[in-house]
Amino acid sequence: MDATFINAMKDAAGVPFYPVVFQGLYVLTWALHAAFVLLALGSMGLSIYGSTRQKSDPYWKILTPHLIMTGKISISVLIVLGVAPLLFTQVIYDSGWYVANTLSGAWVFIFIYALIIGYTMYYWYQYANKKGSSSNTLIGIVSFAILVFCGVLMHNFAVEAISPTQWMDWYAPNGVVDNSGWNIHIDLIRLGFMVSLMIPVTGIFMQNYSRFLSTRQDFEPKYLEFVKNLGTKMAVIGLIISAALFAVWMLKENLLLHPLSLATVASVVILLMLAISNKNSYLTTGVLVIVALLISGVRELIRYNIMSGIGYDLYGYHMNLEWETIAMFLLTFVVLGFTGIAFILTMAWKVGKTEGVYTATEGSAVSRLANTSLAIFVLWIVVYFGWGMVALFKNTL
Amino acid sequence: MDLLGFYPLFYVPHFGSAWLMGLTGAIHIMASHTSVGAALLFAFLAYKAQKENRTDLYDYMKRYGMFLLIFSYVIGSITGPGIWYTATAASPRGISALIHNFVWVWATEWVFFVYEVLGVFALIYFIDKIDRKTHLKLTYTFAIASVGTLALIIGIISFMMWPGTEAYYTTGSASDAFFGINTFPHMFLRIGFMIMMSGIIGMIISSAMRKENKELSEELTQKMGWVSLLGGFVTVFFFMWYVNTLPLNAHTLLGMQKDAIVMNRIILAILFSIYFSIAIIKPQWVTRTLAITMMLVIGIVGVWPGEKLRETMRKPWVAGQYVYSDQIIGRDVPGKGIKEETSRLAEKGLLKLDPWIPDRLRTITPENKLEVGKLLTRIACSNCHSLEKDGLYRPLMPLAGPMGEEGIKDYMKNVIGTGSIPYMPKISLPDEEYDAMAAYIASQAK
Repeated sequence: MDATFINAMKDAAGVPFYPVVFQGLYVLTWALHAAFVLLALGSMGLSIYGSTRQKSDPYWKILTPHLIMTGKISISVLIVLGVAPLLFTQVIYDSGWYVANTLSGAWVFIFIYALIIGYTMYYWYQYANKKGSSSNTLIGIVSFAILVFCGVLMHNFAVEAISPTQWMDWYAPNGVVDNSGWNIHIDLIRLGFMVSLMIPVTGIFMQNYSRFLSTRQDFEPKYLEFVKNLGTKMAVIGLIISAALFAVWMLKENLLLHPLSLATVASVVILLMLAISNKNSYLTTGVLVIVALLISGVRELIRYNIMSGIGYDLYGYHMNLEWETIAMFLLTFVVLGFTGIAFILTMAWKVGKTEGVYTATEGSAVSRLANTSLAIFVLWIVVYFGWGMVALFKNTL
Repeated sequence: MDLLGFYPLFYVPHFGSAWLMGLTGAIHIMASHTSVGAALLFAFLAYKAQKENRTDLYDYMKRYGMFLLIFSYVIGSITGPGIWYTATAASPRGISALIHNFVWVWATEWVFFVYEVLGVFALIYFIDKIDRKTHLKLTYTFAIASVGTLALIIGIISFMMWPGTEAYYTTGSASDAFFGINTFPHMFLRIGFMIMMSGIIGMIISSAMRKENKELSEELTQKMGWVSLLGGFVTVFFFMWYVNTLPLNAHTLLGMQKDAIVMNRIILAILFSIYFSIAIIKPQWVTRTLAITMMLVIGIVGVWPGEKLRETMRKPWVAGQYVYSDQIIGRDVPGKGIKEETSRLAEKGLLKLDPWIPDRLRTITPENKLEVGKLLTRIACSNCHSLEKDGLYRPLMPLAGPMGEEGIKDYMKNVIGTGSIPYMPKISLPDEEYDAMAAYIASQAK
């Protein structure tokens, strides 16, 4: 594998904007995606434990269905958030992504259908738990195992994408081409570290859960105390395990003393202190987001070093600027996206804080956000058709 | 070293890797089209429920929503990226061309997806938890967001067929690539199908409510019959416009299968008109079993052949009429600085230019001739043909076998090599590579 080989795989159409922007967007959106992967796995794993305790323990009886619901929504969110880093990685590291997909083509197919089965079973698990079925735990375990398996496959694609020096050996071992797509390659330390993060992420989520519901009269303070303590315990133990695995991983990558690794370690220490004191879990969550961004940055640093090390010229990617579509994305992302998501999240916050039905009075934040979102959506559609007609008239008349 | 940007080849014996993509695509179409159609239907139902103070319609929306969560937001949202993944494995350069032309369009669609996913949970789980006026506004924005996802993807999938005008090739602009003459008819054709799907699924839900509330069940089945009929009419109407905006190569292929397609569509139109009429006139006859069966019929007899046809009509291209199905760039796109690759391949051959050829196979010898032939045949032909005698995906061997080795070589060199067949990529290679391929194909076709 040399520079000619890897640079030849750059797409002939070039990139439509500065590669560094895609790099930044990748780091940001991967962190968001990963946060929900970890929350989904953690809440699901804990709910399985809860399903074995809920018959005898009233607190677990309340907590378990809530954890299941958290897992359910998180899986949907992680899937949709996962689309963005997938998109951006293909733009600037197309060689890595496409080679990994072709080398493991059979696993790609299995991944999709395993995810469908695992997630559908999760709904079944929720239903069985609601009905008090005796097999709910078993269904949960099978669903959990399938979803973890999907995570392992995704990890495999990521590992293959950053192993350019081995691609040819994997594709044609001893010079004999293998088109079967059955390649699978695991980096146990990296995988172990990523998976371990589900414990602290879920722990901090439970601290937030307890704090959020503390204003509701229909939740017993002792129950919320129980959840808070459990969350703190998970956050602390989980962070220690994750920090140890992170250090081993960085040691293996020769990056332990890199400023980005050190910044990550420092942020984890702050996070640990905040989680132990648990004075304001929302602040802890803010630091968690920073840690997630740093970890995402470390992943990108590893990839950049490997690819540039063999001569891949990322910043020299041929560029064809696309002002019209970038303007569309930026305006949609910032104006429509922020307003729309703010509307749903504000509404969800108010609903969660309210016993009974929440009414958005005229002039309230929810009402104003609803009206603004609706107006922006309508405007977006009008602009879309206007733009389309102008483009068509220009090119056909 | 002179190389072309090929990728490793993933090959599925008997079925072909493209078939995996087709299967995932057909499932996704059912789920995603239902999702957009249901979003429009929800907006209508929520409006009616709020205006007429019909609490029973909220119950129906909730049930429908729960079904939608699994059907569209589990199966649909996984098979969406699933098409992307399997397409990547099957046609990496084709999907790469789409990504590098339309990344910002896809990123914009992603914003709508995020809104949709958060919105669907809020829409279903907050039905009894927020005031109706706010819920109505949420359903309106949800409906527009869903239509927005279609509006954004439609230009990309239309470009897969062709850019629609010549402008893209000179400007290289994503806007010119996106808004071709094919885009809007294609969009309205799909909106029609989406509305129809929402009605078909709606009948499954309404028929399942019979035991609890017979009157409501029948009223809703009737309404869903009308919705489906409207959607079906829109689909047929815009299909005719859509066909007229297809490129020449598509018409050539369409012409070859015209009679079978017309017959299939006529039978489907009659069958579903009868079904929708029954729902309107005799809603009590629509049982849950019948409703589910009809959904499967539309999937297996309607969507699957429809998607296969769309895929076939695109040939020999997979993206923008510049990337061939065998991953070779077949024409210049000056606006993007893209150069066609067929002339370089004719001069130097795949063995020299494909970076994934093992060194020991780069030079043909009597010992490795069949092995080289096998690899080249897979690279050049497997995107459209199974290479096994009993393969299921346009098997190559029964087509080529009767020609014999010399005949195969002659056909490859003088017919395919000159690009004389409108639906096959031009594959110009040096003589010795044709020799190896012909020897391999002849050996397998025996």
